[in-house]
Amino acid sequence: MPEINEDRERNDGFFVKLLSGARERIDGFRSLPREDKARRVREFLLNNAMYIIIITAVIIIAIIEPRFISWASIINIISLTAAKLPIALGIGGAIVLTGTDISAGRAVGLTACIGASLLQMTGYSAKMFPNLSTMPVFIVLLAVMAVGAVIGLINGFFVAKFKLHPFIVTLSTQLIIYGAILLYLQIGNNGGQTLSGLDSSYLDFVSGPLFRVAGIAVPRYVLFSVIITAIMWVIWNKTTFGKNMFAVGANEEAANVSGVNVFKTIVLVFVLAGIMYGITGFIEGARIGSIASYTGQNYESDAIAACVIGGVSFVGGTGKISGIVIGVLLLQIIFVGLNFLSVDQNMLYIIKGAIILLACAVDMRKYLVKR
Amino acid sequence: MKRNLILYILIFAVCILTVGTALTSCGRRGDEVSVFYYTYSDTYISGVRSAMDAGLRRAGVGYHNYDAGSNQTTQTEQVDTAIAKGTTMLIVNIVDTGSDDAARTIVEKARAADIPLIFFNRSVSEEIVKSYDKCIFIGTDYEAAGHMQGEMIAENILANYDKYDINGDGKISYVLFKGQQGNAEAEARTKYSVEDCNALLSEAGRPELMFYDKNNKNGYIVDQDGNWSNAAANNSMKTILSGYSEAGGNMVELVIANSDEMALGAIAALAEAGYNKEGGRVIPVFGVDATEGAVAKIRDGFMTGTVKQDGVGMAEAIVKVTENILGDMEALSGIDEAMVIGGWRINIPYSLYTGDDAE
Repeated sequence: MPEINEDRERNDGFFVKLLSGARERIDGFRSLPREDKARRVREFLLNNAMYIIIITAVIIIAIIEPRFISWASIINIISLTAAKLPIALGIGGAIVLTGTDISAGRAVGLTACIGASLLQMTGYSAKMFPNLSTMPVFIVLLAVMAVGAVIGLINGFFVAKFKLHPFIVTLSTQLIIYGAILLYLQIGNNGGQTLSGLDSSYLDFVSGPLFRVAGIAVPRYVLFSVIITAIMWVIWNKTTFGKNMFAVGANEEAANVSGVNVFKTIVLVFVLAGIMYGITGFIEGARIGSIASYTGQNYESDAIAACVIGGVSFVGGTGKISGIVIGVLLLQIIFVGLNFLSVDQNMLYIIKGAIILLACAVDMRKYLVKR
Repeated sequence: MKRNLILYILIFAVCILTVGTALTSCGRRGDEVSVFYYTYSDTYISGVRSAMDAGLRRAGVGYHNYDAGSNQTTQTEQVDTAIAKGTTMLIVNIVDTGSDDAARTIVEKARAADIPLIFFNRSVSEEIVKSYDKCIFIGTDYEAAGHMQGEMIAENILANYDKYDINGDGKISYVLFKGQQGNAEAEARTKYSVEDCNALLSEAGRPELMFYDKNNKNGYIVDQDGNWSNAAANNSMKTILSGYSEAGGNMVELVIANSDEMALGAIAALAEAGYNKEGGRVIPVFGVDATEGAVAKIRDGFMTGTVKQDGVGMAEAIVKVTENILGDMEALSGIDEAMVIGGWRINIPYSLYTGDDAE
């Protein structure tokens, strides 16, 4: 009993604080002169424009098409978000460094190919390595993470060592990786074909049901994404490396002067991103059931858009894990929602572009005002 | 302040755009069938799409189109979304034909939701289609296109042998644009067009076709992006023409393309080099699909022949089957029985187009 009371007291304390905080803010707002009030409201609306638009959109879509908020639809959106989250978390780091990474999609493709080829079922007629028995899933996961890390290492090395813009570095590596994918698919029995016949141990490990809500299975990779997000949150917020990353992103010179190892930080950010691409590739294979040369193509564009919508700024040095999660989620809500409204596919591309442009404009505005 | 004003306008524009497009589609909502296209960028498929849109509208069936952009992942996700939305039917132009797994995944999703499923155009194996009793395939006997193309090429070459054999070495050198690796249609067309043509040439006592580049053991050129695209064929053809010419005595004497888009890309490159245009020598170019652009070129005499894929006929068959299923009738009723194969697929016949028999 006493424990519970203590808990309640602590809770009460928290709520009182929250309430008084809110009251203070409201009082502060009331005491402002009239034009300041209007300005504050406008600022608030502009700074949160993305969220306001999305929330309004969800409400409108749900009214027009109530199935949008059925369990089947919600789980669909969550699964889509989970599948696209790791790559966005990886790219987020590169954007914090004022860079970008357009090799991400192809890196996902290569790691997916390698993962799938090692996990084809024994006895499958078109198996790439016919003499290889199906490998343990966990070892393959580590292997593709390692491949991703090597790609990241190469990207990071060229960015940090030669001070090349990440756009140019990853533009080059993206081509190299695509060539590697095409060559890899020619190996053994495969002959350039789609990789399939994946082993059930792999399929179950990634996309088997985690639990069911209203009879609809939530796939396991949702759990993976939750774990990865938690790990990334700790890395970004609680480690020296995370703090160094933001310092280098905000001002490389200043970070260097204050003793941060800039070279190491940049390389590590890209290595970490590479590992995330490896994990995305690993999930991708089992999620789709087959892997071909186009797998992963253009994935980076959605991931970058999600980061920007979530407030990871190209100005550098700012961004939150929670922002990225929200960014990915919002993008999925928009796409699924527009499909629920049966919006013409041609218009979808236009709306997508307009939303990304708007998000960037709102984001930049915050920094322009500060100056 | 000015900056804010622009932002407001931008926000306003996005809202209007979204709400506007949502409202225009409102009339079509309610029960709807979902149609998944492998890509909007494919000219032939776009023709099928227009015919199908018109047909479904005429039949009063609500529909929503999805563009997979040549990516199976996107398409599979779109299927999930459509099922979550409560679609009444799935009509799928599958992206990945290299293996059965992508199609199987979609069949399983349809089965779990108990929704009828039509695959069309891009081939899906008999085993997969038959594994679900509400599944049907509407396409072409894809091997026939290759055979017909081979025959057409042979007849045409035999009639004009000396004219086509530019360097007079007695052999016809050719280039073949495959379009995509691992696609059943592409594989069959690549194989049968050359094989059948060679068989007929041998019969007539002529040597077999010779691939222009002896070092290329494959005997074809692939669009690395897998899009069967005009641009990829154009680039390859330009590269070829920079190394092979009449002056060098090694000019490519025949172009075989697995689609008209690629044929047109090759013709554009030839035209730049002075061929296949007003006053230039015409190198024979053969395609498949009979798209508007190709038909026009053939009429003008700058392309030699194509195999007509009846896109409108395919769209009509799909709409008919859709109406049947939604109306709880026998799925294949009202379809020409000659086109129905084994109760699981409908084959839309091909025809030749060389401009001679033009309407």
